[in-house]
Amino acid sequence: MVVIGGGPSGLAASVKLEEKGYDVTILESERELGGILMQCIHDGFGTKLFNEAFSGPEFACKFIDRVRDLDVEYFTNTFVKSVKVGSSLKEVVALNRQGVLKLSCRAIVFATGCRERTPFEIKVGGTRPAGVYTAGMVQRLVNVYGVLPGKKVLIVGGGDVGMIVARHLLLEGVEEVTIVFPEAWFAGLARNVQQCVLDFGIPFKPRTVVKEIVGKERVDGAVLVNVDEQWKPIEGTEVFHPCDTIIFSVGLIPNSSQLEEMGAEIDPRTRGPVVNEYFETSLKGVFAVGNLVTVFDYVDDAVETAFLAAEGVEKYLQGEERREKPTPLSPGKYLRLMVPHRVEWADGRDVVAFFRSSVEKENCWIVAKDGSGGEIFRTLKRYVRPTLLERLEIHRDLVDKAGRVVVDAE
Amino acid sequence: MPSNPRVLKNVERALNRYKGYNISFEVRDGIVYLYGRVKSYDEWVDVGLRVGKVKGVEGVVNKIVWEGFPWDKVRDREVRRRRVYEENVNRVIGRYDVVVIGGGVTGTAIARELTKFQVTVALVEKAPDVAVGATKANNGMIHAGVEPPRNTLKRKLNVKGCLMYERWAEELGFSFKRIGSLWLITPRTLASFKKFIPEPFYKVVLKYLLPYAIVLKGRLNSVKGLRVVRGRKIFEMEPNAVKDALAAVYVPWTAIVDPYEVAIALAENALENGAVIYTNAEVVGFIKEGDRIKGVVTSRGTLLCRYVVNAAGVYADEIAEMAGSPEYTIHPRKGVILLFHKSTGPLVKHCLAEIILPMHPRTKGGGINPTVHGNVMWGPTATETEDKEDTSVDKEDIEILLNKYSTILESFPVEKLIRYFAGVRAATFTEDFVIRPAKWVSNLLHVAGIQSPGLASAPAIAEYAVERLREMGLELRERPDFNPRRKPLRTIRDAGLEEIDQLVKVDSRWGNVVCGCEMVTELEVVEAIRRGAKTLDAIKRRTRAGMGECQGSRCILRLAEILSRELGVTFSELLKEEGELFDGFVRGESP
Ligand SMILES: Cc1cc2nc3c(=O)[nH]c(=O)nc-3n(C[C@H](O)[C@H](O)[C@H](O)COP(=O)(O)OP(=O)(O)OC[C@H]3O[C@@H](n4cnc5c(N)ncnc54)[C@H](O)[C@@H]3O)c2cc1C
Ligand SMILES: Cc1cc2nc3c(=O)[nH]c(=O)nc-3n(C[C@H](O)[C@H](O)[C@H](O)COP(=O)(O)OP(=O)(O)OC[C@H]3O[C@@H](n4cnc5c(N)ncnc54)[C@H](O)[C@@H]3O)c2cc1C
Repeated sequence: MVVIGGGPSGLAASVKLEEKGYDVTILESERELGGILMQCIHDGFGTKLFNEAFSGPEFACKFIDRVRDLDVEYFTNTFVKSVKVGSSLKEVVALNRQGVLKLSCRAIVFATGCRERTPFEIKVGGTRPAGVYTAGMVQRLVNVYGVLPGKKVLIVGGGDVGMIVARHLLLEGVEEVTIVFPEAWFAGLARNVQQCVLDFGIPFKPRTVVKEIVGKERVDGAVLVNVDEQWKPIEGTEVFHPCDTIIFSVGLIPNSSQLEEMGAEIDPRTRGPVVNEYFETSLKGVFAVGNLVTVFDYVDDAVETAFLAAEGVEKYLQGEERREKPTPLSPGKYLRLMVPHRVEWADGRDVVAFFRSSVEKENCWIVAKDGSGGEIFRTLKRYVRPTLLERLEIHRDLVDKAGRVVVDAE
Repeated sequence: MPSNPRVLKNVERALNRYKGYNISFEVRDGIVYLYGRVKSYDEWVDVGLRVGKVKGVEGVVNKIVWEGFPWDKVRDREVRRRRVYEENVNRVIGRYDVVVIGGGVTGTAIARELTKFQVTVALVEKAPDVAVGATKANNGMIHAGVEPPRNTLKRKLNVKGCLMYERWAEELGFSFKRIGSLWLITPRTLASFKKFIPEPFYKVVLKYLLPYAIVLKGRLNSVKGLRVVRGRKIFEMEPNAVKDALAAVYVPWTAIVDPYEVAIALAENALENGAVIYTNAEVVGFIKEGDRIKGVVTSRGTLLCRYVVNAAGVYADEIAEMAGSPEYTIHPRKGVILLFHKSTGPLVKHCLAEIILPMHPRTKGGGINPTVHGNVMWGPTATETEDKEDTSVDKEDIEILLNKYSTILESFPVEKLIRYFAGVRAATFTEDFVIRPAKWVSNLLHVAGIQSPGLASAPAIAEYAVERLREMGLELRERPDFNPRRKPLRTIRDAGLEEIDQLVKVDSRWGNVVCGCEMVTELEVVEAIRRGAKTLDAIKRRTRAGMGECQGSRCILRLAEILSRELGVTFSELLKEEGELFDGFVRGESP
């Protein structure tokens, strides 16, 4: 068994598989295990899984310790160059300071996480000087290297990451931090708004985006512009905001290039691979878990997908029966995305799904319908909004009866 | 030389449109000097271009000012230059037969060409690296030479330079692919003229007349081998071409290169053959003796010299003026280019364009082309800009490009856009290359106005420039020990596994992948630094680290770490291109 990526999801999958008696090798490209958690020194990890709020590294250590206890083989600083999928055997070629590593295995779990969306992907205009960074990179710069990005910082994005980075930089000694975001209010958790922004009196501008980056060699500032509800810039509202650093925290994108190159089907909504209920991709015996599938707000949920995949690997290796035709699972009009994409195995546990709504609504019914529009299931969510990834469980026998399942908010 | 009265009259006529404006001019030896005032920058460009078109005019120096003219900026620049000049004029740091100003593809090519002879050569570049001007921000296309007007130097050197590239690529070890271009003719090609052409003829004109007119234009320009392609054949060559393409002209000679790789290779080879390259050396003035330049004053000290080559790109006009031979004004023309992820590479086989007449004022030609690394580019635009260093990109430019070229291919995943950038073309008002001895300085050679196709023409420009230096009196004896070869930077990107394994066994740094998107190892980065890279962008240009889909967000710190270690400087001293990357340590601590 090879697990690619040693973040929380990869580690969780490895631990589960090793516990089941499989021989697992983890390949991690960074110099240590733990994934992005290692740069998240704030707390709030594990509230669902352990009922406690750990810091990122603390949470990761729960799994790293298990990996060590179980003596799971792992390689850090190891880059996966290519993966070949044969009908039963798969070959992973990796590279590290010792040389080329060729691993043959019966199943692969991809847990390569996500990357940060770049300013180019949101088409920010202006120049491209020094001083323009992404939030995760700045976290690493500050935490790992002990270096500050600049003195006067503009943060773009009102999600959790943006808020956490803003507070962090202020504590570490930058002179000035301002946050701008296109929504009417912060997109992140209320807890973070209070503890990161309001408590520190950090200035922020809702309904505002960066129109242009200004500066030749280093950032001199940004032209900010107000936007309407559709995020369309309102002409005439441009103002110049002087600063020497602009940090973009504008979303995360699954690291699915390698899977895409291998021919795995990709979902344009999540930009991660299409998976079945045990998080197996369209390539048989190749699984994908955690942030690679879709970006999770809670690491606990990411870990759950890893546990499911571990069960899936077992089913795959034992040659359990698949359905003649998988049942497609898809998001309706008011959902932005949903995983998994189909139910493929003949038997198994109830289907765990995650979705993001495209609307904001209190006391919202989430309704599942079959192919002909007949309702098969409904559940009430206290509050749904685009920035929250919601979890949903659907009885397997309900799915069995429907030719397809469409889930929507009502 | 007395001014030709015909030229005087024609210039006057060209200025007719600006009668109420109080514009005056004088002509000295074929050079027109314009004075006065216009309302806008656009008018300033327009006046210059009108005069530039007059027959017999060899150059236009446009001293006209427009409303809102940046007097402050001009004054600040003068004051700064004077200060740097005073600081450095007495600090002689070297003595050379030839000093080449500008480290773009033009300057590096000329410097390298000169090292074939027994002369001492210095190249001075104001930035910390070579290839930072137009040379780093263009399409990397080696055009065949069909487009330039027939009686231009551009045409002559383009046609010749294009065919010299195989040899250059082989000697200098840079990537080069002669993939050819395909110019599509579609129902949109003559849409603006449709009302003048009766319907039954419209398609006939498009399918049978226009393509041959282009082939003929090629032949007149001495570009042979153009072919007309029609029907299924188009899609055999370019499977993803737009389905309603009626005909296409195939230009077999068009090629692609990585333009900064070319300039870096030239610079490395010039160094190898004894040239000296001064980076961070901005030319701020000259020491003159009569009509000769004795010394080139830079921000790093003064270089004494016998000959000077002005290849300073968009600044060539200011250099010429500083030297005492103002013969042209540059009107910078910006071009924006969009770059798409490598996974789109297989969708584009040739350099593609859709012929639309008349040409769009903001894009002119342009189109879609693959890069040697397998990415795809869309662009460029063409916009006049006041600021010579204005490489900003408007959202509007992006939309214009996405819109305009969307009809070339049947389908294309535009969401795979990973980066956009802009370069500035150094256009003169005569819109041709200016490669000639200065009129009023006897040992200065102008190599100015090197706009597109400057890259394609570079090998021929270098030879042509060196020939002019010979005519100016520089004695050129060949060097028996000239080594034309430059070893490319080794990469494991396309290497076999055995080979990689052996490399890692010899040096474990081959096994440390620092940029996952482009698969760049620590050893490549270290080697790039050893060859002279001092900044993050310099490493990027040499290794491609940071050029993939994440645009460096994952590798920039690993690169910074290696750079700081190899150069022995702290993080806060590291540069991106010319600007500082980071600030100090957290809470004022030190490591
Ligand atoms: C700033 C921030 C704040 C957050 N705050 C919270 C919070 O307060 N509470 C909470 O519960 N959750 C939080 N989260 C979410 C949580 O961290 C994620 O859901 C979780 O980290 C996802 O883990 P993962 O294993 O899928 O991905 P990652 O942690 O990204 O791990 C993927 C690993 O794969 C490696 N890798 C990638 N490509 C390759 C390759 N080709 N070869 C080998 N290895 C590779 C990477 O180096 C990385 O180590 C936060 C996330 C961020 C970014
Ligand atoms: C968008 C765009 C697309 C293009 N596409 C193509 C194409 O596909 N094919 C093609 O053939 N051509 C193309 N061109 C044109 C081509 O890029 C240029 O012709 C070529 O790069 C010019 O090279 P250069 O060395 O003359 O100028 P530059 O590369 O601009 O070099 C000039 C150098 O001089 C230095 N300098 C300036 N002032 C001083 C000073 N005072 N002291 C010291 N150094 C100084 C600058 O820093 C710079 O490095 C394109 C141009 C643009 C802008």
